[in-house]
Amino acid sequence: MSLAGAWVCLLAPLAGALLITLAGTRITRRQAGWVATLSVFVAFAGAVDTLVRMLNRGADEREQLSTAYSWLRIGGLDVDVEILVDPLAVTMMLVVSGVGGLIVWYSMGYMAGADEERRFFAYMSLFVFSMLLLVEAGNLLILLVGWGLVGLASYLLIGFDHHRAAAIAAAKKAFVMNAIGDATMALALFLLISRLGTLDFAPVFEAAESGALSDTVVTLAALGLLGGAVAKSAQAPLHTWLPDAMEGPTPVSALIHAATMVTAGVYLIARTAPVFEAAPEVQHLAAALGLVTLLLAGAVALVQQDIKRVIAYSTMSQIGYMFVGVGVGAYGFAMFHLVTHAFFKALLFLTAGLVIHHLAGEQDIRQMGGLRRFMPRTDLAFLIGTLALIGLPPLAGFWSKDAILASAYANGGALGWALYVGGLFGALLTGLYSFRLYHRVFRGEPSQLVLEHSEGHGEGPLSMLIPVGALTLLTAFGGVLGIAGVWEPLEEWIAETSEPLVHASAGEDYGTSLIAVLVGLGGMFVAWRVVRMRRELVSEPRLLSTLEHKLWFDELYDMVVSRPVQAFAGLLHDRIEGPLVHRSLDEVARGSLEAGGSLARAQTGLLRTYVLVIAASVVVLAVVFLVVR
Amino acid sequence: MLGPGVTWYLVVAAILFATGTLGVLMRRSPLIVLLSLEIMLNAGNLVLVGFSRLHGDLDGQVFALAVMAVAASEVVVGLGLIVAVARRRLALDVDAMKELRG
Repeated sequence: MSLAGAWVCLLAPLAGALLITLAGTRITRRQAGWVATLSVFVAFAGAVDTLVRMLNRGADEREQLSTAYSWLRIGGLDVDVEILVDPLAVTMMLVVSGVGGLIVWYSMGYMAGADEERRFFAYMSLFVFSMLLLVEAGNLLILLVGWGLVGLASYLLIGFDHHRAAAIAAAKKAFVMNAIGDATMALALFLLISRLGTLDFAPVFEAAESGALSDTVVTLAALGLLGGAVAKSAQAPLHTWLPDAMEGPTPVSALIHAATMVTAGVYLIARTAPVFEAAPEVQHLAAALGLVTLLLAGAVALVQQDIKRVIAYSTMSQIGYMFVGVGVGAYGFAMFHLVTHAFFKALLFLTAGLVIHHLAGEQDIRQMGGLRRFMPRTDLAFLIGTLALIGLPPLAGFWSKDAILASAYANGGALGWALYVGGLFGALLTGLYSFRLYHRVFRGEPSQLVLEHSEGHGEGPLSMLIPVGALTLLTAFGGVLGIAGVWEPLEEWIAETSEPLVHASAGEDYGTSLIAVLVGLGGMFVAWRVVRMRRELVSEPRLLSTLEHKLWFDELYDMVVSRPVQAFAGLLHDRIEGPLVHRSLDEVARGSLEAGGSLARAQTGLLRTYVLVIAASVVVLAVVFLVVR
Repeated sequence: MLGPGVTWYLVVAAILFATGTLGVLMRRSPLIVLLSLEIMLNAGNLVLVGFSRLHGDLDGQVFALAVMAVAASEVVVGLGLIVAVARRRLALDVDAMKELRG
């Protein structure tokens, strides 16, 4: 069976999670870490095997379905447990298991000595399994199952420190926000079932392309899928959970909230591209939401003081670029940016984890500074990650981000221009916030805290440094997957699954790159000057307060949703629950007691009374029988 | 058929049953109450045997034997209880035993 590799890839992490769970305390914490790491690397080997086999086949035979068994058979609806392997899926499989393996390996060093390490590794393996299920899903229902499972794993891992109230609150927030997306996605699937009676990809796409579905149905289905993508990928207006999710351990932030899960929305749109293409206004809405998010997140990142939150906002902003990419139909470039982003964002998070580890848990960048002197290799890795994020050549981010912007330009029209200009402004913001972060943490004079923690410390254990090194190399050289106009293997590879709608010429691409790099350098220069002068990027008090409150989104949701719901619940409690339910139950109880009390008087305890009653009853019955007959 | 007709059996059984019932109702000693109960059971037995003879069928007599076995067991339990009550030096009076009143 040619898809054995793909099945191994899918099931190895699940086996790892089960093994750790069942073995319990019979294996040491370190062994649990190795089980998780190896299971994910086995999955990576499976993905590589799948890739090699796929490369050996012709371009039109690369899409393969493999069915394990028939799962649901309700009425006319048949759903099988099946996986679909095509270039798009294989790309995601490689990223998820490859970057995932490195991060799980890294967490063995990061989590050493933490409480409940085995639980952590079981959750990590569960997450990798869920994510692989999502990307390998052979129909929309299996995809939704994976979608829900990654949400669960994310919830469990954000709330891993379950004794901290903030972590629990963040986990709940992430779950609720994601549930909104899951619900809209489920509604879209219900609609497709009722209209088409199937959830397999091929017939759904065929119906969308041939116009068998009415415009309204296609638009609603696309909107439902977009809702799921927006919630999972933390795009406005469902983005508020991602910064709070940084309460989870740093490897979790790197794996789930930067490299893989939050990019699932981009994958979903690329996967179901025919549905979105049949509803162009929804696809353009995706691009517009991406633009809003990338600007909003970039602006908020300017004032954040927590190292992980700055990177979290940067993640939102970069996923905004990917949404712009899929929104204009440049699926290959969006996936390219997804891949390079997975490299450099995982790198940034893991180096941030090294810093946090080094400083015994401190995350406030005001307490940091001058770490370059004590952690030169970490400094280099973080700098490469930062420059890739800003998009300087020849690092990975340069090739992918500019390709998306050039596609927006090539798309043309008012939307294309807005996306292009907004995206370039976003590049300026990226330069500002990321260089501010780098300078604050690594340059300048060492702070008191840094000096305290740097006596005789190395940079970290080997299990943390090797993955960081590997990701640094990937970040530095990942750009070779797509060099505009010269060699674009990834774009052509994805095009086999999702045909792009626009394609920028090499001239447009290099023109865009020139502007974007200049803008990014400008941002870096300003950030450098400002930090050197010991000032903040934003000092105007009203703007500062708005940005510090993340544009009042949390307050808005609190006022519009949370408070009214709580007030309504309070009203129900006071007016319905209390007087009606409670009091009526009390009445029923009192009535039963009284009835019981009066009946109890008949129970005299005198044997002879009972006999008399029985005898009298028999006599009465006898008389009745005689008379009635 | 030899002997008296079934009516006589029924009459004797009715008299026995009434005697037993009156005994249970009117006597206060648990020992006599138990005795009266036995009389009532035997009235029932007599009816069974009488009808058995009338129909020329042994089923009723077999059933009467079963009733006797049950009655014997019941007496064992009842007498045991009475002995237990007597040993604790409580009054042997059914009217005094009314702790189960509601």
